Amino acid sequence: MEAMAVPHGAAAGARKRPVLAAQDIGLQFGGIKALDGVTIEICSDELVAVIGPNGAGKSSLMNCFSGFYRPQRGEIQFDGTSVIGKSVHQIARAGLARTFQGTHIFSGMTVIENIMIGRHMHMRSSILDAFIHFGRSRNEEFAQREVVEEIIELLEMEAIRHRPVGTLGYGQRKRVDLGRALAQEPKILLMDEPMAGMNTEEKEDLARFILDVREARGIPVVLVEHDMGVVMDLADRVVVLDFGRKIAEGTPAEVQRDPAVLKAYLGEGTR
Amino acid sequence: MDPAGVFATSFARDQSLIRTRKQLICLILFMVLLAVLPLLVGPRLVAVATSALITVVVTVGLQICTGYGGQINLGQAAFMGSGAYATAVLASKFGFPFWAAIPLGGCAAAAFGFIFGLSAVRIKGFYLVLTTIAAQSLFHFLVLNLPQSWLGGSNGLSLEPAQLFGYVIDTDRSIYYLCLVFAVVMVAGAFGIARSRHGRDFVAVRDDDVASGMMGIDVVRTKAMAFLVGSFYAGIGGGLWAYYVRFVAVDQFTLFHSIWFVAMVIVGGIGSITGALIGVVVILSIRESFISLGPTFVQVVPWLGGDVVFATLNIFLGGVIAAFLIFEPRGLMHRWSIIKRSYRLWPFSY
Repeated sequence: MEAMAVPHGAAAGARKRPVLAAQDIGLQFGGIKALDGVTIEICSDELVAVIGPNGAGKSSLMNCFSGFYRPQRGEIQFDGTSVIGKSVHQIARAGLARTFQGTHIFSGMTVIENIMIGRHMHMRSSILDAFIHFGRSRNEEFAQREVVEEIIELLEMEAIRHRPVGTLGYGQRKRVDLGRALAQEPKILLMDEPMAGMNTEEKEDLARFILDVREARGIPVVLVEHDMGVVMDLADRVVVLDFGRKIAEGTPAEVQRDPAVLKAYLGEGTR
Repeated sequence: MDPAGVFATSFARDQSLIRTRKQLICLILFMVLLAVLPLLVGPRLVAVATSALITVVVTVGLQICTGYGGQINLGQAAFMGSGAYATAVLASKFGFPFWAAIPLGGCAAAAFGFIFGLSAVRIKGFYLVLTTIAAQSLFHFLVLNLPQSWLGGSNGLSLEPAQLFGYVIDTDRSIYYLCLVFAVVMVAGAFGIARSRHGRDFVAVRDDDVASGMMGIDVVRTKAMAFLVGSFYAGIGGGLWAYYVRFVAVDQFTLFHSIWFVAMVIVGGIGSITGALIGVVVILSIRESFISLGPTFVQVVPWLGGDVVFATLNIFLGGVIAAFLIFEPRGLMHRWSIIKRSYRLWPFSY
């Protein structure tokens, strides 16, 4: 995987405006502080990895961004407007896409239909148009199908495009998940543990697709990941969470040397 | 799945429903058969075919709501009834022509269904079933307890036959054609909805509502829409029923009928418009063969009495549903696609 460590970033010098910015967010479940004063900014054309031990609040942070959780404290700005209090589909329509931990794909549908669902927010035909079918609904369907085919080509899914997703292997399902998120033409892409449960080959494929996507579409990506090799190779910037707090932030190399990070991962050493 | 050697070369081709010349010929032959059916068979079978066409409209609606949208609905007969009553009131009290009264009846049913669709927003599964059963009781309660001058109460409502340009649609054959036209339009529309973005939204919400939200689908709106469309179909079916029987009463739209609609969807195959059509044909054929063979059976073994026929009919149909749920939960359409697949691959196993 070393060969992939192309210096994509280099954005570190020229900071652009943040696409997604969280200010001091706090989220509590009863007495448990899932997130405690986390501040994070993601700029356009940046691949940020969020890492941390189990229960550090990584997935909670993703759920706050996408509107599944509502933080009690703090402010989240996406593309210049606040997302706090907005529903999941409103945030998605504003241009935030995410892939899920495990698989949340529509298993009864084919690969094409799954990705077409991603085009939902770009389609306008009414239920009456659908009833008539010929005309607006049909034309729209063909126009969107063209976009979907581009994504299928990008993710190399030509051979399985008509297969029901329920019959696919895990790695291919994650690919469909990514394709569906891309079909939304998002302004930012959140990926919650995309590599969990994959073998090395599948991981390498997916890592390649993530880099391809960045290259081709220039979408900022937030990656929550456990696999350190992947994180260190792909990320421009790494944010480390532990017990709901941000304990470190920086380039992969900086973070690797950070004593607070070492402590969180390996425990306190008695040298 | 296409036969071997047939490949799509355009999106239009890839998405079309009729994929080979043979399928087109079969469809045309089938439509011709439907068109000449009343000239070939006796009045009894024409009556059966007419009620089958009405049932098709209602069941296709239920297929969209339950099969596609995943919103289990045991109130389809109530929605059908509200459409029938709305049509009857509009036609008999306000003098609407049938071509306006039936669609407006559909809209009235859609409004009634929409109210229960809103409850589907907050509750799922078992509790939603109970709510739709409540729709059934509410319908009965309203019809029987509203002032008799409104909906006729327990006496029911009767209406004049439909008229088109002075031609009175009151014979068995003419009503059959009226129902055929509506059924063809509604089924074609259902195919359109099923493969539009709305149909996909319904399936998405059924399969995974968390991910649907993340795709920008308004889950609340989609569930309500599934009920709206499903009950609109029920209302159209109800309107046709009103003109077919020319008399509507509450006991034509009971929970029992709702369960039969669900049974047809299950037998035909959940999530397939064609499945709904097949389910209607299969269930109604079983029912009709029992009814027509019943008298002969009673003659052979008179000591069992006439009631036994209807008792056996219900037990048998109940058994059919149970057997399908256990052995073929995805219905006949699923079995059909398996057969097609193995036929295509034969003699190889994959």
